[in-house]
Amino acid sequence: MNPDNLKYYKEHTWVKVSGRKATIGITDYGQDALGDIVYIDLPETDINVEVNTEIAEIESTKATSSVISPVSGRVIEVNEELSESPEIINEDPYGKGWIAILELDDASELDDLMDASDYEKYVEEEAK
Amino acid sequence: MKLAILGAGPGGYVAAIKAVQLRAQVTVIEDTEVGGTCLNRGCIPTKALIASSEMLARVRELEKFGIELKGEIIPNLSKIIERKNRIVNTQVKGIRGLFKSWGITLKEGRGVLLSPEEIEVTAKDGSKEKITADRIIIATGSRPAHLPAFPFDGNRIISSDEALKLTDIPKSLLVVGAGVIGCEFACIYRELGSDVTMVEMLPRAVATEDIEVSELLERELKKKKIKLYTNVRVERVDIKDDAVHAFLSDGKEIVVEKTLVSIGRAFNSDGIGLEAIGINEGNRGEIIVNEKMETNVNGVYAIGDVIGGILLAHVASREGIIAARNVMGGDEKIDYSVIPTTIFTSPEIASVGLREHQAAEKGIKVRTGHFQFRALGKAHAMGEIEGFIKIVSEEASDRILGAHIIGPHASDLIHEASLAIKTGLKTKDIAETIHAHPTLSEGIMETAEDVHGEAIHVPKKEI
Repeated sequence: MNPDNLKYYKEHTWVKVSGRKATIGITDYGQDALGDIVYIDLPETDINVEVNTEIAEIESTKATSSVISPVSGRVIEVNEELSESPEIINEDPYGKGWIAILELDDASELDDLMDASDYEKYVEEEAK
Repeated sequence: MKLAILGAGPGGYVAAIKAVQLRAQVTVIEDTEVGGTCLNRGCIPTKALIASSEMLARVRELEKFGIELKGEIIPNLSKIIERKNRIVNTQVKGIRGLFKSWGITLKEGRGVLLSPEEIEVTAKDGSKEKITADRIIIATGSRPAHLPAFPFDGNRIISSDEALKLTDIPKSLLVVGAGVIGCEFACIYRELGSDVTMVEMLPRAVATEDIEVSELLERELKKKKIKLYTNVRVERVDIKDDAVHAFLSDGKEIVVEKTLVSIGRAFNSDGIGLEAIGINEGNRGEIIVNEKMETNVNGVYAIGDVIGGILLAHVASREGIIAARNVMGGDEKIDYSVIPTTIFTSPEIASVGLREHQAAEKGIKVRTGHFQFRALGKAHAMGEIEGFIKIVSEEASDRILGAHIIGPHASDLIHEASLAIKTGLKTKDIAETIHAHPTLSEGIMETAEDVHGEAIHVPKKEI
């Protein structure tokens, strides 16, 4: 189940907002589609990321894929634990598998994101 | 025909055997050991070390393969070096054996040209001997370049020559230059346990490769926790209190136990009598030759690293064959258009022909095909899924212009593409050729198919 307190992006990423801070990660559907994750190339802190651009790159046993940021902002923290144990993303995509925390540029971007039930419908459509 | 060859590396010894096969009477002069840099201080010894470091990497993941190991895994560098020395000695004996079987005379000593028909050889004991010949081939090779900014002492600041002889694994190693040699040693010493930092003044590692290959290698280096700084120069290095302090152009200071400088090669053209007989040299001391491997002096040829250009053993060998045939009355020209290159990093890199960015620079319209090794069952079974294959083909003709591989056994896989380019094959020719399953070679077929979006094991691309 996709948590209700998160916002979802079409590229199978999620955001959890707390003030100006946005924690992002990939969704359960995203991790499942990727398969076993073997490596994540995390962004550097302090860089600026635009919405709908790559924030990290994930290598799974099936493919190499971009993680596309659902919002724009400055990277203030990355989940260093993932560089040693990227499989955490598979195990806990909405919790310990978070990827980075951004300082939001423009909170209005959040209005364009989906809530949990919209995202579920979106995934069902995509799966057809 | 009496032929004298100065230098018994992969240029000189191959030229010698080829010339004898064509009925020449050959004397080879060598002042260190037959096999040259390649066999004694290059290709073969590094591959011996890489075999050990890769064995170590594999043993470290035994559990993944369902094998339990009780006890510790400890690399012993002096034993690794001993193994390397045994391999080199066997190969050296092999070349000496070939010389004997073909009736090639080997003169051990330093040769200096006295005239286009005469070489003076000074043996280790100081005795001198004059050798006369109808033709001479110069194949004296190259050595690690020494720059004043790096005060080589053979201990703290070393070249690849010394990096092949270390008996203790350095705790920390700075590698100056992220070219072929630098990247190979970085991978070896990182696996053995050194903390490795690399500095490259160009924007990317292995800058002569296709850009996508460099990008993937850089990520693999990052995975190994090798630190790579690009677009940065090492301005100065000092040896202080038993450590090397390197000062970078961006203001950083790196303190390490040893520094390996791998920033290029210098040509062995000094002190061999070139000036005396008036042989033309280029700005960097390389001997200038034409496509027939002839110098400006009649009857004197030059081949291999000492003529500059592409410093690779297999190029030297080909030049040696061309020179030998021309000495024996042939009229052959060297063809540099299809030369495979290999880099034994982990994962391996191999390429041949045009890089995608070179095609753009030349205004050639191309298509590219890509294929990830991780889409192959065989790669998963082997536990080596990193990397990809890329084919560059001419849009109009579909002919293959280049192939770039980073991944398992890249150095063996590249030759199908070499043959395809050499014979003018199209991507369709490879795609329509049945490749055995399960093999890594299937990747070449899939890449050729992908040029037209027809690979089987690639998800449909969004258009």
